[in-house]
Parts: sequence; structure tokens; C-alpha cells
Amino acid sequence: MEKRNKNLDLDVIVAKYRPVVSFRVKKSIGVKTPDWEDVVNEIMINVVEKLKKDEFRGDSSIGTFIYTITSRRIIDFIRKKSKVLKHAPEPNPYISPQEHVENRERAQWIAGSIEKLKPKYKEVLYLYYYQELSREEVAKKLNISSRRVSERVNYAQKLLRKVMKE
Amino acid sequence: MKKCKLENLIDDYLFDRLDETQKEKFEGHYFNCPQCFEKMEQTDEMIAVIKTNGREIFRDVYAPQKTRRSRLESVLAFLTPRQWTMAAVSAALILVVAIGVIPNFKTTSPEFFINDDLVRGSSIALISPVIDNLDHVPSEFRWQSVGNKTEYKLSIYHQEELLWTTTTKDNFVTLSENIKSLMAPSKKYSWQVKAFSPEGTLIAVSSRVQFCFVTSK
Repeated sequence: MEKRNKNLDLDVIVAKYRPVVSFRVKKSIGVKTPDWEDVVNEIMINVVEKLKKDEFRGDSSIGTFIYTITSRRIIDFIRKKSKVLKHAPEPNPYISPQEHVENRERAQWIAGSIEKLKPKYKEVLYLYYYQELSREEVAKKLNISSRRVSERVNYAQKLLRKVMKE
Repeated sequence: MKKCKLENLIDDYLFDRLDETQKEKFEGHYFNCPQCFEKMEQTDEMIAVIKTNGREIFRDVYAPQKTRRSRLESVLAFLTPRQWTMAAVSAALILVVAIGVIPNFKTTSPEFFINDDLVRGSSIALISPVIDNLDHVPSEFRWQSVGNKTEYKLSIYHQEELLWTTTTKDNFVTLSENIKSLMAPSKKYSWQVKAFSPEGTLIAVSSRVQFCFVTSK
């Protein structure tokens, strides 16, 4: 647990928690909502301000402190959003052409890595992630144990994470 | 790296399978667990790729249904439609020939009539008694042998009613006194022999020959 410390390195905190906050925000309000980046920015600004004002008392971890700020901001956003005309068309979030190409290439690379997996690992990924079956349902379908399903899923994930880190 | 105890919740969290309490707990957790957050980010990216490109990535996994259809297609593709038609017509013709023609080649035993009755089989020549008005009741009935291992059935009739019958493997039968006593003088009797193969098939029939006798001895 990180204690209250006036010498907290704010840049490190922002760099460390911005991806976590982004993930949480995108999951809550949807990645296609164009405002998600603004919400993340607001949250990070809020976090920095509170840290500067010594509002972090060290009762919890810094991660929990930031999580609380994030959750509250998301709830506020959803409440405000629901008051807006529901059927008003939403503009798509802006993605730069370069970012678009990079995202597409990365997705193709990951897809290619999945295709190269052995059939028994592809099978479990297909049933578990594409069809969203539970481990027990996958086990029943493939006539193997749930434990074996977990082993294959975990091993496939391990292989793919290696690729994704490259 | 030691596995985090809440790592197992990643998939359920990403698929919104956790209840509110579990969800909040896990969300609070990954703000404090870089290991879980990193794995969750990677899993989330992998799921996004699978969901977007799944049909292409897993085409050989869910293609077996198509393979089942293509097996039928590959069998049908063995011949052209015209060739399948020719094969069907040929098979039908062979069937017609087999049903219609082959039975005609089956060997049948010769037909002949005895006393207006259609009888199949060759004839047995009766030897005795063949003369009418015998002077005594016949004690032996004899006929010509037919084939090997043949079984004969001798039948004696009084008018049209069967009086007595017996079977033998010999070509004669000697009547016992009891059987002789069944017959009376001046009455008309007839006798007939049928020959059967060891399998029980009728292979020969004699004509029915009449006899009577004037006195009983």
C-alpha cells in the first residue's frame, strides 16, 4: 500500500494509471462513444489536483483512490448523457489514419498468430471466446474435462501474449 | 511470476458475467494489480480480434459442417449427371432382366396328366398287380425303381377314398394279413406309387391302376 507522500511522483502515477482509467472508462461508456477520451482526461486532471491538494490521506492504496474517482466520474457522465436526446446521432470517435493502420496491422498480426495455433487450442478459443461458452460447456462439447479446457485456454493465451508483447 | 488469486475473474469480467459486487471488487482490484490489469488488457485485445475476425480465423474449426456436405458433394461429383442417369438406367434394365427373364430358366419337372389331374414328375412303371379280376387278394405290390435313395409312397384306394398308405425305400410292399382283410372280393380298388427324393421332393408318380379280385384267400 502506498502511503500518503508529498513526494508522490505525479508523472509516474499518471503514466501508470492512465491506461487503467482508460480501460475502465471505455468498458463503462463504450469505446465507440467519442467522449471517452475527454472523460479519461477529466479523471486524470481530477486525480492530479486531489493529490496536489493532499486529499489522498493514505487510508487506502493510491490505486483504490483513483478507482473511486474514476467510478464517480463515470456515473456522473452516464447520468448527464441520459438527459441528452437519446436518439441524437453520435459522431464516431476520431482515429488518426496512422493509428487506424497501426490498429489494423496489429489486429491482423494477432489474428494470424491465432490461425497458426494447433487445432486443439484454436478449438477452445473458438468455443470459449468466439461463442462465449463457459468452460463447462466447452468441456462437454469437446468431451474433455473443464480442467483440460482451462489448461488449453491458458496456454493459448500465454502463446498469444508473447506475440502481443513483440 | 506468482499467479494472482483474482486472475480467474478476468474472462468473466470481460464478458459481463460477474454480479455487481464481484464486478466492483475486481475493478477495484485491477487498479491495484498491474499483473491482472496487463493480462486483462491483452485478453481484451485478443477477444476484440477474435470477435472481429472470427469467421476468417476459425473457418477450419466450424467448417466440419461444410465438410459433411462436401463429402456428399464429392460422391456426387464422381460422375457427371449424364453418367449418373446412364448408370441408373442400366441398373433398372439389369433389374428387369433379373426379375423377368431368369425365372424362365428355372428347370421345372415335366408335366403330365393322370386322370385329368396335372402331375409333375416322371412316371413310375407299375409292375404288379396290373391285371384286373385277380383270383386272390394281391399280397405284393411291385413297381420299377426310380433313382437312388428314393422313398416310395404306396396308396391303395377303394373307389376314390384312400384305403391304406405306406412308405418304403424298396420298390415293393408286401401286405400283411391285417391290410389284406381291409379288401373284399368283387370290389374295385386302385393303387398308385409316388417317388420322393431324400429331401422330400416328389420326383415321380405312377398312374393309378385298378384291380379287383374274385375270391379272398
